[in-house]
Amino acid sequence: MPFIELKNVIKEYRNTHALRGIDISIEKGQWLNLVGPSGSGKSTLLNIIGCLDSPTSGGIVIDGADISSFSEDEMAVFRREKTGFIFQQSHLIPYLSAVENVMLSQYFHSMADEKEAMEALTRVGLGHRLHHRPSQLSGGEQQRVCIARALINSPQILLADEPTGNLDRENTKNILELVKRLHEEEHFTIILVTHDPFVAQWGQRVLTMEDGRIKCDEFLCRL
Amino acid sequence: MSSFVVYEAFFAGLKEGLKAGIIWYVLASLLHVKGMLRLQRAFIAGTLFSVIAAASFLFLNVTPEIREYIANSGEMSFALLLVASAAALLNSSGLRLFSLLDRVSGKAFLRNSAIFAASAIFFVPDISGTFIFIKDLSLLNERAYQTYASLAAGVSVSVLLISAMSRLLSRGLVSSFFELPQLLLFASMMKLTAGGTGGISEISLIPAVQRGLMKLSHDIIHQTFVMLMVPDHPLLKTTTWNFIGFFFGPNIASWETLLLFLLCPLMFIYYSLASPLPETAAAAGAERRRFVQSVLSDRRRKAVPVLLFVLLISASWFSQSGEKISAVKVPKAKPVVEDRGMVLIPVTDPTMDLKDGSLHKFVLSRSDKEIRIMVIMKPDGRISVCLDACEICPPDGYGLREDHVVCLYCNTPIPVVSLGEPGGCNPIPLAFAADDRFIRIAVDEIMKKRELINSSRSAEAAR
Repeated sequence: MPFIELKNVIKEYRNTHALRGIDISIEKGQWLNLVGPSGSGKSTLLNIIGCLDSPTSGGIVIDGADISSFSEDEMAVFRREKTGFIFQQSHLIPYLSAVENVMLSQYFHSMADEKEAMEALTRVGLGHRLHHRPSQLSGGEQQRVCIARALINSPQILLADEPTGNLDRENTKNILELVKRLHEEEHFTIILVTHDPFVAQWGQRVLTMEDGRIKCDEFLCRL
Repeated sequence: MSSFVVYEAFFAGLKEGLKAGIIWYVLASLLHVKGMLRLQRAFIAGTLFSVIAAASFLFLNVTPEIREYIANSGEMSFALLLVASAAALLNSSGLRLFSLLDRVSGKAFLRNSAIFAASAIFFVPDISGTFIFIKDLSLLNERAYQTYASLAAGVSVSVLLISAMSRLLSRGLVSSFFELPQLLLFASMMKLTAGGTGGISEISLIPAVQRGLMKLSHDIIHQTFVMLMVPDHPLLKTTTWNFIGFFFGPNIASWETLLLFLLCPLMFIYYSLASPLPETAAAAGAERRRFVQSVLSDRRRKAVPVLLFVLLISASWFSQSGEKISAVKVPKAKPVVEDRGMVLIPVTDPTMDLKDGSLHKFVLSRSDKEIRIMVIMKPDGRISVCLDACEICPPDGYGLREDHVVCLYCNTPIPVVSLGEPGGCNPIPLAFAADDRFIRIAVDEIMKKRELINSSRSAEAAR
């Protein structure tokens, strides 16, 4: 049984058809990249899988739970327990240090643990920048903090929406290598949205979307 | 008068209904989470039994003695709840005092019986008091059925409110704050805040315990002297007794009362917040944090009802301990004369009323000696007549403080209800006859009992 299964998922915003019947199966631990032009429905699909949005119709089963019928509260619990998010913008709290930003995520999950947060930042190569505020960090370092923040609660799914969109090639490569290393160590499922062909070649599967439909489903390598 | 009666009856019904409904909902929530919801039937049966038992007072002649008995049983059931909750708190703090109870609690019959008995003990005094109150109210109303209809309306509204509450508060949320000790404490809080009824005196907890502790402290000190074979009362001066009396005086007893009530709850709160966390299989990471957080959250939630109890008791202590234990009042003795071998004391005259519950003293002059007599009406309506002296102490006499007479020599508090019993620190009782107008005491009786008085004099009295 696939870890994530979408059946005929449709999302409509008034007269706009963002998703027009999506069927996907994603195995546990797979790294799936969603690519396609702007407006193709990539982020909408990511948001629906991450319980940030709900579909107009269709079924979504993740780890045996039908999330398409979830209430707002159940969606919040699902997000808290199962997912970690990385966005193009870091969305770090500007007046908190790097470690405090990670601890905030711990707090909303269960309880803060500074030692564990410091270890997580050390793992992403920020052991020397623990107490710096976001404004004192480079863009690449901020995204590293975001990765530590997203993974601190041991999510089963890492959802990334253009995580390297603001970075240069060198930093993009560094971030992707970091994600790859963590993925190999912790075996979480990754769904990454990008329109950068360089980024799309990382991972194991590329799903190309166009006009709310899946245009191409390409496996780079099997798990 | 009619509308007053209707409102009073309505609110009496509302109060009893809410009390039963809230306790039922908390109990049912707890049982639901534990998968033992069937046990709620024992609670409902116990409550119904209480209603039926209490309803018998609607058809009985309710004497002052019965009222006093019901009021006392209300306080007794409250005390039982407190003792049970304290024991349960200690038990849940890790002291396995009741391993035998743990074993028998596995038997369904015993569990059902315990819940039935507990609910009956809780509700019989309260509902009895309510029914007696309603019966009294119905006598004030030309149409008695209106009073009973108002009571029923109050109960009906309480059912609607409990029904609404059960929709607003999930059983999971309610039960997360309760285990057995918290449930018992919660019930005792309900009893403390809503245990009294219009017809029965309200529970006045702190002063009652305070006086009990004063008596207990005195007895412990006195028995210590007895064990050491020291004739304490004749030997020690009043000033010495006043110093010793500090330890069973109202101030010390007041703090002892607070300590007695709060010791177990505070121990439980300390345990909840300070004891080490249990070991977890999850070594690290989010799973460990989740486990630690759930344990801490559970402890904090379970501490909330206990903390509320601490606050309620502290508030009662502040409001009651200062007011109720007042200074000892010593009335001035009025002269009485002998008339054909009898002493006649009028029950009422323009200056006094022997039935007013206060202490009255009289003095009989005989040759060169004065013999003091004290008269007081007890809470049960009976008059007690005693010499103003006991068999042990120098005869400094007694004063009145609340519902105790207090020996002016050794500060021993004697409950007014126990007056008439001979021996020890009790005032020496006198045989007497009474009618509506006079109390008659034979002079021979007075002289005979006078022989029992300690012949020694305290140093102060001798001066």
